[in-house]
Amino acid sequence: MSTQPQPELVTVTIDGHELQAPRGQGMVETAASIGIEIPVFCYEPRVGPPLGACRMCLCEVEGLPKLQAACTLTATDGLVLKTALTSEKAADGQDAILEFILLNHPLDCPDCDKGGECPLQDLTFRFGPGTTRMHFPKRTFDKPIPISPLIALDRERCILCYRCTRFSENVSEDGQLVAINRGASSVIATFEDEPYRAHFSGNVVELCPVGALTSTTYRFRARPWEIQNVPTVCGLCPVGCNVWATTREGKVARVLSRNHPEIHEGWLCDKGRFAYDHLRAEDRIRTPLLRVRRRGFQEVSFDEALDAAEAGLREAGSSIVVAFSGGETVEQATALARLVREGLGSDSALLPDDWDRGLAAFRAPLSAIQDAEVCLVLGDDPVVERAPVVDLWLRAARRAGGRVITVSPAGDVQVAPGSAPQVCAALREGNMAPKELRETAKRLRAAERIALVWSADDPTGGRHVGSLASHLHENGQADVAVYALPRTPNGRGVAEAWHALGEGRTEPPEEAEIGALIVSGDEAGHNRRVGELAQRARFVLTTAMFQSDLTAWSHLVLPGTSYLEREGTFVNLEGRPQRLRRAVVPSGPDELEWLAGLAGRFELAVDPWAAPSTAEQAPLPPGDEFAWTQPDPQAPTGKPAGPGLELVRYRALFSGAAVERVPQLQFQRPGLEVELAYEDARTREIAAGETVRVSSNGTSKELRATLSRRLRTGVVRIAGEHAEGLADRVQVEKADA
Amino acid sequence: MALRKLLLAHADERDLTKLAEYETVGGYESLRRALGMERQAVLDELLAADVRGRGGAGFPMGRKASFLPKPEDSSKRIYLVVNADESEPGTFKDREIMLRVPHLFLEGVFIAANTIGSNLAFIYLRGEYLREYEVVVAALEEAREAGYVGKDVLGSGWDLAVVVHRGAGAYICGEETGLLESLEGRRGQPRTKPPFPAISGLYASPTLINNVETLATVPKIVQMGGEAYARLGVEHSAGTRVFSLSGNVVNGGNYELELGTSLRELIYDLGGGIPDGRELKAIIPGGSSVPVLTAAEVDTPLDFDSMAAAGTMLGSGAVIVIDDRCCMVQLGLRVAQFYMHESCGKCTPCREGTRWMVQLLHKIEEGDATQGELDVLLDVCDRILGNCLCPLGDAAAMPVASYVARFREEYQRHIDEGGCPFGDESSLKGVLAPVDQHHARLRAEIEVPTGP
Amino acid sequence: MSAASTLYDRIREVAAQYPESRSAVLPALRLAQEENGGWLPPEAFREVGDALELTPAYCKAVASFYDMFHLAPVGRHMVEVCTNVSCALVGAQQVLEAFERELDAQAGETTADGEITLRTVECAGGCGWGTVVVVDHRYREPVQPADVPGIVRELRSGA
Ligand SMILES: Cc1cc2nc3c(=O)[nH]c(=O)nc-3n(C[C@H](O)[C@H](O)[C@H](O)COP(=O)(O)O)c2cc1C
Ligand code: SF4
Ligand code: FES
Repeated sequence: MSTQPQPELVTVTIDGHELQAPRGQGMVETAASIGIEIPVFCYEPRVGPPLGACRMCLCEVEGLPKLQAACTLTATDGLVLKTALTSEKAADGQDAILEFILLNHPLDCPDCDKGGECPLQDLTFRFGPGTTRMHFPKRTFDKPIPISPLIALDRERCILCYRCTRFSENVSEDGQLVAINRGASSVIATFEDEPYRAHFSGNVVELCPVGALTSTTYRFRARPWEIQNVPTVCGLCPVGCNVWATTREGKVARVLSRNHPEIHEGWLCDKGRFAYDHLRAEDRIRTPLLRVRRRGFQEVSFDEALDAAEAGLREAGSSIVVAFSGGETVEQATALARLVREGLGSDSALLPDDWDRGLAAFRAPLSAIQDAEVCLVLGDDPVVERAPVVDLWLRAARRAGGRVITVSPAGDVQVAPGSAPQVCAALREGNMAPKELRETAKRLRAAERIALVWSADDPTGGRHVGSLASHLHENGQADVAVYALPRTPNGRGVAEAWHALGEGRTEPPEEAEIGALIVSGDEAGHNRRVGELAQRARFVLTTAMFQSDLTAWSHLVLPGTSYLEREGTFVNLEGRPQRLRRAVVPSGPDELEWLAGLAGRFELAVDPWAAPSTAEQAPLPPGDEFAWTQPDPQAPTGKPAGPGLELVRYRALFSGAAVERVPQLQFQRPGLEVELAYEDARTREIAAGETVRVSSNGTSKELRATLSRRLRTGVVRIAGEHAEGLADRVQVEKADA
Repeated sequence: MALRKLLLAHADERDLTKLAEYETVGGYESLRRALGMERQAVLDELLAADVRGRGGAGFPMGRKASFLPKPEDSSKRIYLVVNADESEPGTFKDREIMLRVPHLFLEGVFIAANTIGSNLAFIYLRGEYLREYEVVVAALEEAREAGYVGKDVLGSGWDLAVVVHRGAGAYICGEETGLLESLEGRRGQPRTKPPFPAISGLYASPTLINNVETLATVPKIVQMGGEAYARLGVEHSAGTRVFSLSGNVVNGGNYELELGTSLRELIYDLGGGIPDGRELKAIIPGGSSVPVLTAAEVDTPLDFDSMAAAGTMLGSGAVIVIDDRCCMVQLGLRVAQFYMHESCGKCTPCREGTRWMVQLLHKIEEGDATQGELDVLLDVCDRILGNCLCPLGDAAAMPVASYVARFREEYQRHIDEGGCPFGDESSLKGVLAPVDQHHARLRAEIEVPTGP
Repeated sequence: MSAASTLYDRIREVAAQYPESRSAVLPALRLAQEENGGWLPPEAFREVGDALELTPAYCKAVASFYDMFHLAPVGRHMVEVCTNVSCALVGAQQVLEAFERELDAQAGETTADGEITLRTVECAGGCGWGTVVVVDHRYREPVQPADVPGIVRELRSGA
């Protein structure tokens, strides 16, 4: 999107080398650009402006009497910097700081997880004083205390660089990890030792320059020299963060971020970072399962499985429906689509996400969000639950002075649930009801750079937000970027793969019996219609990693694989094709292999190996020329008001088959809670924390009440997994009432 | 040269906390005059007066004020912040000014605010100063009713709101950027400079920060004219200062003197000398953070240059008199304890270094230290000096290093004799640094030694 | 609930004085401390945080930085003895010990009956009139060991 003006070049001198650098560029980076390393600990530009706290980077600046913290200096014309390489004084200063840092730092490197990849250890080996002159007992604290089931804190090792606390305050803005007390008594802590419960908590482990913050899932699991790092992409949400999968002895031992500046700046959510252990879950399906009359499931060989699959499908003729999960690679989705459309002559599919091509005109990297003057967020789903990292970009935009306006039942502008399409229409047609939108419309018209974020399911494939964008575009707004957040990790790639074989798609028949249903992946089960179709299907063929209601409906179950076990291509929400790499080998053939096998049975040639072309750090394809030809979609008319409160459910990030199988992640799952607006709580005399009964036609749930000052009056919000069976309108009352 | 009541003029005869009384001695005339002048003209008077900051750093006030952008050129709001956090050990002069001539102080605040074109001023008042808070707030209320502050001040069309913000007990919040952080509702940890407050201070806006006494001189300067004011005192040290006299002296208290007056006059002629027939041993001339002087240097004049020549500083104008009962190792320990306790914990050398100093000094005092450890102590001071984020670390290292330098033999005896030569006789025997209850509680959870 | 909501309103009122409400953290914590018998229980941080849209963790981080906020219960009365250099030179230690004897509590402790908390503080800013003792936020200067029994009696008599 917006191209920042190139900053002018200035001349600086570092250790006698004169060089040109962009004005304002940090001197640590500037020195690095000519291969001069200035040691740093607290300096980490991603967590905010330089702090100058650890003082490790002390350097001499010509004309200044005192040593300066180089991390706080930026390139200005004529700046003459002397690092420890050429300045005696700087070398002494840095030596002093290192001695101070090590004063109370335990020398337990051999059994520290950071050992081998610890900046402090490296510096000490290189410059550190061999012996300590400190003969007093070191500051001691309780040995590693858990600050959450995921993270352990060893306060003795902490060097108070405040990276973790700045991340918590300035990046994720969860404000939960803080420094308490003063001076030498300062320690990192959470409130009253409550667990650090936040979507992005794991990043502090990677930020910590020493072994003070370590992940409980990795501690003592491997030593740096026994491991292999595989560059791949996280396959758990549509953002597609780049990661390193650290493997040891053929198992994934941890997931680290691999910074793609345009996508996630190196941050990962806790699902992407910690969910990998589901690969080893006890209940994982490892061999094909065939339902045998009255004997339930029976393990069969892959060839037998293919025979059964072929039989079932031939039986079904062309009355076949395929349900995608959105977790398939593009290659896999293409193979499956070809099998169904070319091999079996059906074109009836359930796609978890759809995507209108016209949106390609508003394509921009996620990083562009932070440059937008106005970010308009539409839809009922909390962005952080749907595409976590997008939430970080929106916060960055706000910090950069941009105006972030969420229009939702819990937004800055509060509207009725499900009314995002009406909002688009209203903003488009300039008819400004609801009036709260007037302000928003004005800001949109005034802005040069606009980011539109759509955070809800949209059967029209993004046409509502797309047509709003096109109107703004025609209004002369220079930069309009659209980020339609798919519901599934590769739902967009899957939709494109399907449409690539011809636009057509017939809806599965209502009521009538169907010949066969192919369910591709565990997540497909989340579509209510799949369960309903399964009951009408003579033959249900499912691929899944785990047992579920869905597999229970199936006649044949083939073992599914995880994104960490597959080669292929994922298309993220930006429309960026990225390469998925096989970090560990699955126990049997993966989906693509047996799809190829099955296709063969129908005289169809499908390559069993994906050969993704995309690079390790994939570029974003250029956006199309503006060509929005779609008619403005009709906004569905709002639901009629009724008695009780309107229920909004959302799909929690920390839910689903993978999360459920990682013990350390359980505390992150949504609590048994219902979110109430203050006004609604007041009229019902409900106080925060009280148990309330939420009920509708027959179903009734007891949930803990949390009060929100943001939620629209008349609306309650419950995580989907706790709202099952409830209707769209519910009664809420004190449990004891 | 001696006593010269300028700020505290009439305060003995009248109750100048009352607006009416203050007005009878020409109160708020300077504000009236200043409002009638061009902003630049007022600034020129301050520049001509060459008045240096009374908070400790001694930076010329006029110069600092002229670093701010002119209101017409500033897209951002401009703030005046008053540093009334007076916490440098030995210092209690701002308190005297606020208690006895609050209107003079406020008049200075109003004039300064107008001069830099600010409509919102904050007085960051030391939290412990409850009575001072009450007096200042009462005076502010009187001034508001009289139209000296608030909307359309004296019909000039200029508005000024003043917020009195109480601190909560942290010496570091006296450091200007720590103060700003605290005023913004954060832990009072200093910021790296640049950017300087004049460009990006409170809420990242242009901010002028001055000490109470500095601002209290402003009405006097406007009244008598910068030139005339500059004739008071000596070169590079114009005007008067309110010196806080304490320690082993007969008449402790505040004395407003023309700069250039000698320590001897203050301690003996005004302070009545050393009690109980003891001997003068040492003088801390500018608050506990400055290097010490020996009895032999008692004739040093109290002005910036003379103090610099003597290897120390005028600092906050707090003169602490020390007699021959005091053990200089215990003094070092007590001073180091203070700075360790007040270190904000942000930068490494201050946080770790002050703690190490305390440990070493304690060992020396106990007589358990080796010769080597005395050298380590000096080396630690040296390694703190100039390497910290803010001057607090220096404030700990400088004085302690000076105690060792000037009373070396006393430190040596602790090592040679394996104990304190003063036995139980030292006046400082046994003093402990504060035990903060929340730190104590924290120690219960996780051991955090705050003392040696 | 009602007490909390009034604290909420009072904090919002104070916050209105500032361009950014975060600035009201210290005054807000002071209000909360007064409301909670001189110290800040965990609940207080939740209330302050709710009123200023900050997390309880943030509020505690701030409070723990400042000596005048107490994170553990304190007595109904607070006696603070300055033991910094100037006061120490003129006998602060003797005054402190007098209080410790009289109250049968060490510096940093509260009397057995929970009435009086004794603590030492850094320079109170009354150096010229040492030893400075701050009783319930009011300065007594100078205080001699001989004055101590009187002060304690005064406090005990609930004056
Ligand atoms: C550790 C430290 C503590 C300070 N304490 C105070 C103080 O209590 N009062 C004060 O006016 N200045 C104090 N200062 C000086 C301020 O940083 C700043 O220089 C001063 O307020 C500027 O006002 P002035 O120019 O009128 O002196 C302190 C400085 C440091 C480094
Ligand atoms: S825990 Fe690690 S990141 Fe946090 S302050 Fe300590 S050293 Fe820095
Ligand atoms: S890296 Fe510069 S001060 Fe820490």
